[in-house]
Amino acid sequence: MKWFEVISKIDRRIIYLLLTLFVILPLFIPIKIPQNIMPQTQKLFDFVDSIRPDDKAVMLSLDYTPQTAPECHPMALAILKHCFARNIPVVGVSYDPQGPGLAVEAFATVVDDINRQASIKEDSVIYGEDYVYLGWKSGRIAALLEMGESIISVYPRDHFRNAVDSFPIMARVKNYKDIAIAIVLAAAAYPDDWVLYPQSRYGIKVGAGLTAVMAPKYYPFLQTGQFSGMVSGMKGAAEYEHLIFAHGYTKDLGTAETGMSAQSMIHILIIIFIIMGNIGYFFSRRKK
Amino acid sequence: MSTDPWIWLGAILTLMIFSFLFKDNPFYKFGEHLFVGVANGYYIALYWHNSLRPNLVEPLSQGQLIYLIPLLLGLMYFARFIPKISWLVRIPIGFMIGWSAGVSIPATFQAFVLKQLEGTIITPSSFTNAASGIWAAIILVGVVCTVVYFYFSKEHKGILKPTARLGIIFIMIGFGASFGYTVMARVSLLIGRIQFLLGPWLGLID
Repeated sequence: MKWFEVISKIDRRIIYLLLTLFVILPLFIPIKIPQNIMPQTQKLFDFVDSIRPDDKAVMLSLDYTPQTAPECHPMALAILKHCFARNIPVVGVSYDPQGPGLAVEAFATVVDDINRQASIKEDSVIYGEDYVYLGWKSGRIAALLEMGESIISVYPRDHFRNAVDSFPIMARVKNYKDIAIAIVLAAAAYPDDWVLYPQSRYGIKVGAGLTAVMAPKYYPFLQTGQFSGMVSGMKGAAEYEHLIFAHGYTKDLGTAETGMSAQSMIHILIIIFIIMGNIGYFFSRRKK
Repeated sequence: MSTDPWIWLGAILTLMIFSFLFKDNPFYKFGEHLFVGVANGYYIALYWHNSLRPNLVEPLSQGQLIYLIPLLLGLMYFARFIPKISWLVRIPIGFMIGWSAGVSIPATFQAFVLKQLEGTIITPSSFTNAASGIWAAIILVGVVCTVVYFYFSKEHKGILKPTARLGIIFIMIGFGASFGYTVMARVSLLIGRIQFLLGPWLGLID
């Protein structure tokens, strides 16, 4: 077998093994690769950063699934840290049936971390006062439209079956007028519905945290101003983590930042494979 | 190494699914079938506790008879299985199509057609700085050329030929960007699983 046939017929298991090694090594030996902050991530960060404390709320729609959690979960953690550090009330909802478990975990992780470090009550984050998670709702189009009139009418009870009208946060967050931005963290086309219905009818600002696969589809929404910022994939999550770290809202970076070293290494490996495959193909054709 | 049995279960199931990378085997099949079963169970429980019970069963048991209407509409879907009354299924389908069309058509036109057209049009405000002006022009040329490529009512001759060719280049750039993002997404999922195996399960990384 000629050399060019060898490089174009590498056993897929060898490729898998190399991919695994290139993921594992940077997790043990972190390689510092500088992060360029993309304008859309900066835009979302700036928007959240410009919301006045204890004023309007951020509505966080957690619509990602366990398989896409490595991309979207760090975004949720970073955005929650940012909001709580600035005393911005957060109202969580989900429209993907797989969202609630991850949403509860995201809130618990961030809140436990903040409350562990809080020395006085004012520094802590309290359920029902600073944030609430309303849970999953079927019939999302009707729910999204109805929340423009009254959130409590759509969610009389929260995810944990508590009466929502008993929470102090809901006394000041009645409908979309009290929401500064709805940030949709999604692994499917949920941001479409937020743009189509609440934004078209009520003019609510929409931001998005998307899996990388979805990002190219949603770039035009930035151009038109329908998105007030977008965080895409693990890279976007790492950028947001970097921004809140750089602004002093958190003391440590999250999992996306460490994952990006492995991501960069894998990209180099894949580029090498693409070049090798093309060289092999080119020489095979010449031989014929 | 973790002492939590759930972490162990997650790790073992992850390895079972990964074993497919070597070749198809009974461990992979077991993991796959278990996933399908658990997912079905999860969805049934979720829809019962979060949708059917609070939105139908509880109001009906409290005597709110108006909820009989959605119950009847829902039951009509099952008429499909009884040939004599299968025509009844048209009623809930008609209701759903009518409602969806009424809600969606104006919103889609406004958000996905008019707004997107607005984003393509060059106005003096597009040239507030040189970079935004250049990008606005590129977007306009890209959109026009791509639309011309998909215009099949006239043969691509004369001015249409180079325009359509340029359109292909824009489409290819779009595909390249999609491919790059897809690779990044899939690799992210692998990184996530490996972080889980090395972190919460084996305790080798933070």
